[in-house]
Amino acid sequence: MNLEKVIFSFFMILALTLNFGFFYGDVHNPDHHNIYELYAVIVINLIATILKFGDRSQLGAMLLATSLVANVQLISAAIVWAVAAHMQETGVTTATMATIVSLSGGAVLANIISVILLVLEASIIRR
Amino acid sequence: MNPVTSLILRQMRAPLIVIVAVFSTATLGMVLIPGVDDQGQVWHMDFFHALYFVSFTATTIGFGEIPYPLTDAQRLWALITIFFSVIGWFYALTKIVSLIQTPMFKKAVIHSNFKHSLNQIHQNFYLICGFGETGSDLVEGLANKEIRCVVIDSSHRAIEYLEVQNYLSFVPGLEADAENPKQLAYAGLSHPLCKGVIAVTNSDECNLKIAITSKLLHPHTTVICRTEHKDFEDNMKSFNTDHTVNPYDTFSNSFAMALKSSALHLLNEWLTGVPDTNLDDPIVFKDGHWILCGYGRLGQRIYKVLKQHNHSVTIIDTTAELKTRFHAERPADTTEFIIGTGTDAKALRQAGIEHAVGLVAGSDNDSNNLSAIMTAQMLNEDLIIVARQNEMINRELFYASNAEIIMHPSEIVARRIRTLLTNPLLIDYLDECFKQSNDWINITISKLSGAISEVKPHCWTIELSKKESPAMYKTLTRGRKVKLSDIVKSPIQRNHKICCLPLMVVRNDERILSPEDDFLLATNDKLLFCGISQAEHHIAHCMHDIHSLNYIMSLKNAPDSLLARYIKGFTKHKRRNND
Repeated sequence: MNLEKVIFSFFMILALTLNFGFFYGDVHNPDHHNIYELYAVIVINLIATILKFGDRSQLGAMLLATSLVANVQLISAAIVWAVAAHMQETGVTTATMATIVSLSGGAVLANIISVILLVLEASIIRR
Repeated sequence: MNPVTSLILRQMRAPLIVIVAVFSTATLGMVLIPGVDDQGQVWHMDFFHALYFVSFTATTIGFGEIPYPLTDAQRLWALITIFFSVIGWFYALTKIVSLIQTPMFKKAVIHSNFKHSLNQIHQNFYLICGFGETGSDLVEGLANKEIRCVVIDSSHRAIEYLEVQNYLSFVPGLEADAENPKQLAYAGLSHPLCKGVIAVTNSDECNLKIAITSKLLHPHTTVICRTEHKDFEDNMKSFNTDHTVNPYDTFSNSFAMALKSSALHLLNEWLTGVPDTNLDDPIVFKDGHWILCGYGRLGQRIYKVLKQHNHSVTIIDTTAELKTRFHAERPADTTEFIIGTGTDAKALRQAGIEHAVGLVAGSDNDSNNLSAIMTAQMLNEDLIIVARQNEMINRELFYASNAEIIMHPSEIVARRIRTLLTNPLLIDYLDECFKQSNDWINITISKLSGAISEVKPHCWTIELSKKESPAMYKTLTRGRKVKLSDIVKSPIQRNHKICCLPLMVVRNDERILSPEDDFLLATNDKLLFCGISQAEHHIAHCMHDIHSLNYIMSLKNAPDSLLARYIKGFTKHKRRNND
């Protein structure tokens, strides 16, 4: 067992599960989507991205790319939330919530691809 | 990905994760810990403001306690945030700094820079292995003629020295072992524009390895090797190494020229020397007795040359073993062989210095050579002295010693390779000259001194091919008769003849020496000229530019634009119809 691989896989799968947890629920309903969960997703995703830095293999490049996509999606969602909550008088409406959740939905997709690649890699190495 | 970026990213994983962890924990803490707003109500910082607060605190900007003054609990958390985030930043910074200082990183940067400069080369270049005395001399000559070179040398000092040189064209240098095929390929051997590999390291073995690598990996590259031993030379020639340059052979050839005729020696010195330097004075060789100090690789060759010209010789050498071998090989030879250094008057007197005409100081020790020269000059002032200079740093000493011929192996190799690369016809020309009579040589040298000014001439070759001289080629294919005298005129004022002398024309492997003025040129002729550098530019310009060529040949300017050509063609057609 390789501790580095465990940590690596842990963060990637945690990023996916947290992301899914935030995404799951009624798209319009702010009560179904916890801001702390979004925060955790962003932090975990950032760590997962950093862990993929500097890998020169083709698979490593793909993994980094998917993580970067997830980050872009999630940070856009956070910015939308911040803008809606603090810079607009209406606050977080159901329409804004739908935008935030759909953005995080995109990130879920990117994270799923990440995990599929991870599983593929694991299945190639028969050890 | 660039190896340097990749290296940085891989090393930055841990520090970046530390920063993300510290920031996220601090932000989360600020969100969770309750505060009090200006109304005295319990207030929770949201993520947006918490991240803002942590960011300006962690980066030591410190805007203060906004939007509301913090409670004691929040202040405690802020204190923890400050310490940990500042430690995080410092950790990341020191990691970057230490990474930059590691030899591995430096090497990666140097290699990446080298690769970049290699990619910037868009013309044929030569890979020069070894940047010692020969290598630096050669690179200087080539780079200043705007021939691109790339240098590989295993010594750090050599590459450092290369970096501070100011050549006309940039010469990238790589500190690597040229004997290693992988490094050699990396240094440019596998580059599609690499035209040739020149192995001029100190060791014959290393040069041999480079030649083998180059010929195996890229059979079509030109390979030129410096070699000082016969067996290595034969070995290199066995697998089609294009040229091997042996400084001792090259020198003994030019020494043979000098013995044959002083004019031939002068011709050789003028044409192969560094252009625009002062002309050498002629040396007059008298028949008589020669003393040879040092019977090594150089001494043995010179001995042969002297014997071929029927001079009597006395050899002085320190090694008794050489003496027994010398007498064993030549039982009939009555040449005297004295054991000694030749630096003392006794040995020189014994060798007959008083009635000698020449002395060759040819040992591999510069101090001994200089000492022998000085002693000999005191004993006999009229000696012709041939000195072997082994180290570049002793150059001034040898100049001061008033030796007539100074033989410096590195310089000889560099000069020979430079001629091979820039002007191979010149070597053929000198070979032909060697076969000519003394009268012919004397006429040639007087013509040459009439054509050039007071410095050594430039030599250059013009090929009348479609690629090299498009204008001339076009003129010749149209059936015009062009005489040699037609093209040695200035494109600025055609009545002025330019300062140059055609030395040889090569047509289909036939060599025509000293072509006459009314010699008719044909396509694909190769012309060897010598003269001042301005003449080279003038002729090259006329070979490319049809208008200048028409002007110097007193021809009418042909129409150049599409419309003008059309109109001319039309009027010609009309005139023909009217006739």
